[in-house]
Amino acid sequence: MKTPARVLADQVNQIQKSGRFSPRSASLPTWCPGCGYFGIHQGLNDCISSLGIPLTQIVTVSGIGCAGRYPFFSKTYGLHTVHGRALPAATGVKLGNPNLTVFAVGGDGDGLAIGGGHLPHIARRNIDVNYLLFDNSIYGLTKGQPSPSSPMGTKTKASPYGTIDKPLNATLMALAYGASFVARLFAGDPKGITEALIEGIRNPGFSIFHIYTTCVTFDKNFKTWAHLKKWTHALPQDYDPTDLGRAFNEVLKDDFSLGVIFKRDA
Amino acid sequence: MPEVDFTVEVCGMAGDGTIAAGGLINEAMSHGGFSVLGFDSYPAEIRGFGRCVTNSRIGSNEIVALGEKTHALISLNDEQSRSRTPSLAEHSLVFFDSNPPAYVPEDNSLLSVLPPGAQVFGIPFGALAVGASGASRGRNLTALGGFAAVTGVDPNLFRKVIRDKFKAKGDRVVDINVKSFDAGYEYALEKFSDRLKSIFSKIETDHDPKKVMLSGNQAIGMAAIDAGLKLYFGYPITPATPIMEYLAKYLPERGGRVVQMEDEISSIGAVLGSFYAGTRSMTATSGPGFALMTELITHGVMAEIPAVILDAQRGGPATGLPTKTEQSDLHAAVFGGPGDSARIVIAPTDVEECYHFVIRSFQLAEKYQTPVIVLTDFFLDNRVENRPLIRAMEGQAASWNVFPDEAFKDHYQRYADTPSGISPRALPGMEGFNFTATGLEHTEKGSPDYSPENHAKMSEKRHRKLRYALKDLEKPAEFFASDHLDVGVIGWGSTFGSVLEAVEKSRKNGFKVGALKVTSIFPYHSETIGAFMAKSKRVLVPELNYEGQLANLIAHLDSKPVDRLNFVTGTPIPPSAIQSRIEELLGVLA
Ligand SMILES: Cc1ncc(C[n+]2csc(CCOP(=O)(O)OP(=O)(O)O)c2C)c(N)n1
Ligand code: SF4
Ligand SMILES: [Mg+2]
Repeated sequence: MKTPARVLADQVNQIQKSGRFSPRSASLPTWCPGCGYFGIHQGLNDCISSLGIPLTQIVTVSGIGCAGRYPFFSKTYGLHTVHGRALPAATGVKLGNPNLTVFAVGGDGDGLAIGGGHLPHIARRNIDVNYLLFDNSIYGLTKGQPSPSSPMGTKTKASPYGTIDKPLNATLMALAYGASFVARLFAGDPKGITEALIEGIRNPGFSIFHIYTTCVTFDKNFKTWAHLKKWTHALPQDYDPTDLGRAFNEVLKDDFSLGVIFKRDA
Repeated sequence: MPEVDFTVEVCGMAGDGTIAAGGLINEAMSHGGFSVLGFDSYPAEIRGFGRCVTNSRIGSNEIVALGEKTHALISLNDEQSRSRTPSLAEHSLVFFDSNPPAYVPEDNSLLSVLPPGAQVFGIPFGALAVGASGASRGRNLTALGGFAAVTGVDPNLFRKVIRDKFKAKGDRVVDINVKSFDAGYEYALEKFSDRLKSIFSKIETDHDPKKVMLSGNQAIGMAAIDAGLKLYFGYPITPATPIMEYLAKYLPERGGRVVQMEDEISSIGAVLGSFYAGTRSMTATSGPGFALMTELITHGVMAEIPAVILDAQRGGPATGLPTKTEQSDLHAAVFGGPGDSARIVIAPTDVEECYHFVIRSFQLAEKYQTPVIVLTDFFLDNRVENRPLIRAMEGQAASWNVFPDEAFKDHYQRYADTPSGISPRALPGMEGFNFTATGLEHTEKGSPDYSPENHAKMSEKRHRKLRYALKDLEKPAEFFASDHLDVGVIGWGSTFGSVLEAVEKSRKNGFKVGALKVTSIFPYHSETIGAFMAKSKRVLVPELNYEGQLANLIAHLDSKPVDRLNFVTGTPIPPSAIQSRIEELLGVLA
């Protein structure tokens, strides 16, 4: 005779083996080997399977870019739109069927350049969409042009003498736009991503996960694995993410502290 | 039975109650059983500072176009009304304030520019209103009283519509407004006792109680609500804004919501998102906003996601003429955007069709899984007509979604290449049908695939689907059908009313002329249109654009060249202009 605990364990085992809650697509993502996006993929997949959200109840919405390919690597419902328009489409999906869990994913060009006009508005409308911004500070898909988050002086084929524009700080923008949940994360820490996602999904409004990641193919200088590992670190011990003033101060003085930066008190 | 075809204009400055007076004329005459077509214009961009003019054409027979000559002018501001005198008919009636609120210098007066033969009725609008109500605000109503007395309108018609208009404000307000009307009525009856006409009094018309006075915009809004619209996403732009405002007022009580988006790109993005999730939504815009939407519209074509987009055309290009009417977005609606991106484009020609076409647009979008563009224009959206409007019955607005069969569960192909080209569409939440909708070229399963065979096959599938859609798209309607025509006139959109009137008049002059109304702009019924062109010795396409956009689309359907009549005045085409062109062509034939 099996004990009840044993029966339950068997059932969990079976479900896991059936892959019912595993969003991993049958084929491997086509990203370059070593690309930071694999870490984000793992972080989001683990969040979905550990929360046990049925894959049929999830829609993953994206724009265009290497990051935009994400929905093809997930077994949830997917909506791969045009460059920069993931957030408006995700707004329509969520308002169209509020029972769905909606993720929006995309790169820094997609979300801060061509689609940059949508971020303030989804934040102020506080639509219940969970937005993962894959920030590698480069245009990956179009083979390495500078992005709005590239540091000044970035040299690429399109900027052979170095860029002269200041970079945008997506975390700071999200705070200023009034996003109700803001986390800053690192693709090299999938567990951290999973934890923040689990917390952020509970936020009934707009949650943004600003994820530092690397493009191993087109960025050999700035957001490399080695640099990101060296630069990133946890938020201070006594950090209080419900204090918006403190959140601004933190983000202004430290570009690389990671964790839940802000969550609005219910 | 004498026929009535009478056009009255009210002209004043903003604040004079001009638009309200014009509206009351429309309502009263509609209640009297007349056919009414009204159009307000305000040449100034900002209405608060400009001249307001309402134009109402009132007929005992069906009115389908605006009047060209004004038979009565009601002047609430003489300086402004001077601009209206060129369109006055012979022996027109002119009502003006004989004791105006502000002194008008002699050489600025209305009377000095009236054509000889005009019949002038001076009535102290303001003073009478003060006497009746204690304030001069009711001047517009005393003016209506004078108009009713002189032209022979049953005063009870006006009293009824005044009561209806003000009843929400309480009995006192109703009372003083009716009194103001009566003061003007009685004054004119007595003062002009020897000059009274019976233009409207002896006419028997069959009043249809189902007839309602509606603008194109109201019909569009009502249709969206009757179609069960849940979400409207939009960005303000003239002349589409009234649709958003109508829905903002009436959608919430139906559990729906209007979301004012940050631009037109996000508006169409959200419409696609909600249709993807299975919920009816729409957006309305005008040319500049439509241009911004084109990339995502082609995304709807490629990813096969329904969408409903209403383009209320105005003068273009660029910001163009925001408050003027034009039919110059046809090319953009049919061809705008990257790639071979055929989509459905339909164009109503009157207020009643606005209602039915908008309901149908949701169903077409669902069944053919593609954006549907409804093309209207400023004139059609803003004009009012009294038409027997039958609201959609239960089921008439039913969903036309095509869902996949349970048998395909777990091996579902979202973009299955079927004989009709229609691939059953699953919605998120359906177990076992997960797929990714994409704007990349894709396989039947939905995986990106740029191979030559696949792109050829899937392009063919999408266009086959569009050809198949023709069977659900309204056929062109022929008026005054006959086997041979000397001139066949093809009309579309708001212009069709003028076409019909011109053709009817030419026929009365004994000419062999016919009209074809084209409402399915893309795909179009090439056989029907081609046959009409073939049997007409000359084919005339009048349009409110420079380039002849419908003419360009259909010219290849017949071997002889199409004759074009292009108006770029920002104003509706007068029927007489079409009639002269027809008769000019007939002269060429003779
Ligand atoms: C309207 C439009 N403009 C330009 C492009 C070309 N384009 C595709 S992806 C991309 C930028 C990708 O960079 P990012 O968003 O950072 O994504 P990543 O590839 O780095 O993940 C560009 C410019 C496009 N697809 N559509
Ligand atoms: S190009 Fe860069 S961002 Fe794109 S998949 Fe390769 S490593 Fe990743
Ligand atoms: Mg990038």
